Amino acid sequence: MTWPLVLRSLLRHPIRTVLVVLGIAVAAALLLDMVMLSGGMERSFSRMLLSRGFQIRLSPKGTLPFDTEATIPGITPLLGRLHQDPDIAAAGPVVAASLHARVRDTLITFVGYGIDPAGQGLYEVRRGTDLAPGDTTGLLISEPVIERTGWVIGDTIALLGRLDPGSARAGAERRLAIRGVVRWLYDARGQRSLGMSFRVAQQLGRFPDRDVASMVMVKVKDDAAVDRVAARIGTMHRSIEVNSVATLVRHFRSRLVYFQQLSLILATISLVVGVLLVGTILTITVSERAGEFAVLRAIGLRQARIVALVMAEGALLTVIGTALGTGLGLATARYLDRILTSFPGLPAAISFFVPAPDATARAAAVILIAGIGAAAYPAWLAARSPIAATLRADAE
Amino acid sequence: MADRFHLAVGDSIALTPAPETAARWYRIEAVYQPRPDPATALRGEFQVRFHLPELARLLGAPDQVDRVAVAVRPGIAPDSAAFRLNQLAFGYHAYPSATIAAESSQTFAVVSRFHRAIGLIAIVASAIFLLCIMLLKVEERRLDAAVMRMIGIGRLTIFKAFVLEATFVAAIGSALGVGLAWVAGSITNLVYQRRFETTLVFSYLTPGIIEVGIGLSLGLGVLVGALAAGRLVRTRPLALWRRTG
Repeated sequence: MTWPLVLRSLLRHPIRTVLVVLGIAVAAALLLDMVMLSGGMERSFSRMLLSRGFQIRLSPKGTLPFDTEATIPGITPLLGRLHQDPDIAAAGPVVAASLHARVRDTLITFVGYGIDPAGQGLYEVRRGTDLAPGDTTGLLISEPVIERTGWVIGDTIALLGRLDPGSARAGAERRLAIRGVVRWLYDARGQRSLGMSFRVAQQLGRFPDRDVASMVMVKVKDDAAVDRVAARIGTMHRSIEVNSVATLVRHFRSRLVYFQQLSLILATISLVVGVLLVGTILTITVSERAGEFAVLRAIGLRQARIVALVMAEGALLTVIGTALGTGLGLATARYLDRILTSFPGLPAAISFFVPAPDATARAAAVILIAGIGAAAYPAWLAARSPIAATLRADAE
Repeated sequence: MADRFHLAVGDSIALTPAPETAARWYRIEAVYQPRPDPATALRGEFQVRFHLPELARLLGAPDQVDRVAVAVRPGIAPDSAAFRLNQLAFGYHAYPSATIAAESSQTFAVVSRFHRAIGLIAIVASAIFLLCIMLLKVEERRLDAAVMRMIGIGRLTIFKAFVLEATFVAAIGSALGVGLAWVAGSITNLVYQRRFETTLVFSYLTPGIIEVGIGLSLGLGVLVGALAAGRLVRTRPLALWRRTG
């Protein structure tokens, strides 16, 4: 008997009901978006860092990977020691250099990555072939490079390094053949990057006479041993910054603390709006229907049933509003994500709003509980009004 | 940096560009307050300033710079100066300051677009909330409307009275909203200025924002009040009377 009564009561004021449902839907959408924003960045960043299974990054002391132009010295002995570690499955050095190539009459600048194909976590091959270990004449390019240059697999490119600003004379030049097209996992949208053998990039880079790398990526055999291995590397090499993915996520979180606080504030506001909306509307509805509730009690309905009736109204409004709000929230999240991922220099693989079933369920449960809770006060008002006095007042 | 490492003028510190290279000793000549810069304030970086040749020597990169600032003579357009400079050599690119400012403010332009989008959602939510409240508020006056109609007061007069009432409520709400925004903005500035140790202002409540806020809430309030009042005066007095029973 409860649900038909609840439905009839809500349908008695269709405009009011629609407005409340819409209000709850917008509040639920905002809450869902903020829940996705608060955890989404970390999930997306962590997923990006672990996409090739490398759980540790080594960078120059006091820096995060590619945060500055500083380099790790003595890379060959360091790699030798890492490869000897029984817990380490792979260790791949990366060196970055600013490189140039002539395309028709224009000198174009590229980001050059020197990698070891046997242990790289920077890219995925899309077309063609990967560099073979020891291949010092091969080159990997990405789609943004193709768009700008028109190069194809098989072309041989003259790459220039250490360009003199005044004369445009290169300090180093290498001719490399394009082997494949890759997707760089950490590149910003439209970034033009080239991949080549680690030693080739070293020779084309700023310090050809130094045995340096910008970063080393380390893959640990057992995920459970990552922290232990990171601590051990850090103890053995005190002049190197050793970060596990978990530590990098913490650094990332501290830089984007603003978005987390914003999401917390807006989620709270949306909850308050939802609660106020349900609470206010039901309180007014209950006061309008005081006579009806008095009649129901006079014919034998217990106070608990009256409470259940009002709370069921709150629950139904919230359930419908939350269902609508979930769809609305997912759509607005896509729109908001498009705005935030247009940050200059942000890796294309990063998302701010990542839908996760547990987060969605949590947001829906919170707003549902809040909505039902908001109906508690009007339900209490409806149940405690004196029957005789209310009926008399209603009759007058 | 001086606070964090308890440094003072006259102290000597050893600086090195990389852990394995030999350190050089420098004496602190002055402690300065970096100009508040939104691009770097949130990173919490420590900054030191050198004479250019000293830093180049420390880095082992003599006769090299990251960038050069050029002041053009009065009357010379920065765009044409940059164009001419770009014709001279290949190894650098000259940009007018306005271009750099536009490029470096991209991050804040994105944040601003995000805030506008969130603001739009908040406006939709508050508009619906306002619509509900005003609808209920006017509907509460069914009996009054019925009585007024029965004693001969015209529909237009009743409509105007209800719209005026809605305007009054919206005006009070707007004033309270401005006060609330000022308090929230002050708290935001206080918290973030302490958090990032900067004098940057994070939240501005400008006259333009106040105008938009008041305009929106007053406009919505009056519109919703008018819609609800119109619905009320269109209903027959007896029907209104019955519905109040």
